[in-house]
Amino acid sequence: MQHSMNESTFENLKLELRRGCLVLAVLAQLRVEHYGYTLRKALADDGLDIEESTLYPLLRRLETQGLLTSEWREEDKRNKRFYRLSDDGRRVLQQLLDEWQTMGASLNRILWEQKI
Amino acid sequence: MNLLNRYLQEVSRHLPKAKREDIIAELGANISSQMEDREGELGRPLTESEVLEMLQHHGNPMMVAGRYRPHNLGLAFGVRLIGPELFPFYRMILLLNMGITLFILGVLLPILARELHLTITLGRLLTPLLAQFAAVTVIFIALDRGRDHVLNRWDPGKLPPLKTTPEEGPNARNIFNFIAAAVGTVWLALTPRWPYLLLGPGALYVSALHVTPMAEWIPIYWEMVVLLCFQLVLQFVALIRLLPSRPARITDLILKCWGLKIGIVLLFKFPNYVSSPYPEIAEWANLTFLICVIVAMAITLFGIVRQLLRLRPEAAAVNYAR
Repeated sequence: MQHSMNESTFENLKLELRRGCLVLAVLAQLRVEHYGYTLRKALADDGLDIEESTLYPLLRRLETQGLLTSEWREEDKRNKRFYRLSDDGRRVLQQLLDEWQTMGASLNRILWEQKI
Repeated sequence: MNLLNRYLQEVSRHLPKAKREDIIAELGANISSQMEDREGELGRPLTESEVLEMLQHHGNPMMVAGRYRPHNLGLAFGVRLIGPELFPFYRMILLLNMGITLFILGVLLPILARELHLTITLGRLLTPLLAQFAAVTVIFIALDRGRDHVLNRWDPGKLPPLKTTPEEGPNARNIFNFIAAAVGTVWLALTPRWPYLLLGPGALYVSALHVTPMAEWIPIYWEMVVLLCFQLVLQFVALIRLLPSRPARITDLILKCWGLKIGIVLLFKFPNYVSSPYPEIAEWANLTFLICVIVAMAITLFGIVRQLLRLRPEAAAVNYAR
């Protein structure tokens, strides 16, 4: 019972930790144009596996927020929706990366320099 | 490919209409690419079981569609009770449920309020509303709790078959609607001559108990017969595709509004539908008839709302094809 509770607490915390990182990873990956499936593959190749049902709606949300632009184009005889970072997205990505580095540095100090 | 089309059709059923076509086209392209990639790796076309497995992994169509809803809302009370995937469906069913309950109570309560104290009347209003709210909420919380066990354990092989497009000829629903309208019209036309068609064995007691209908019944009855005749013609037109779907829907909407108007007229005739020297019999008959009128009005109103929603500007037909 205690074990399964710990498991579910861990899963919830992991989910929260991943949520913000996913946005950062998606924005960073879309400095180069991708459509949904190739983006998912590119992220997976770099070790970040995202479920399709999470990634595809996320792309639309980021586009609604003005961070991505998209266009329908034919490739391999099929119409696909290609996404890339917008100018706003580029600025936000840079801000997020700065934040990420600051947090990373702080965490490293907390975790390793204090020997916890 | 048929399986993928059936999957996309099921996802599209739960998507907001405005973005349905776009989302389905994108999802279809992504899943098709994934399939092609897999076929490339294997060096052969995918078997049906492999496609089933892929769709199973992609997720329950309802949950997948839920993630595309614009507002990622959920219900929480300290801990999460209903997640964002199910919340849109929870809200929709709750609103529908409460709307119908409120409508029925809104009609019944003024009648009850004549005889009961205001607080008792309000109590009778709040009790069913709270009960409905609690029941729907508890069901959805349970569904959310068992999400992994219930919603994720779905079988893509059991997805509904692809629907035929309206241009492809009569479908089962058209045929059923036409038969139902024909039977309804004939039934109503015959009831004055053979009242047992309406009342069953109770017809034998009508004359014995001296139950007499109100005088206004005759014009209302004929109005109902004419309405049903129009409905029959409309269903026939729909069956042979004489009218495009939009004008047919507008005509159906007009007929439904006409039906609702008859219901409102009947509502104001309560408690004088029938009279009898036996007050209990008259009271019971009038109340039974009132309930029938309210139920019929609720069904008609539901039909009107559904038709109005369908009449909103539509996106082009969804292209499921690979």
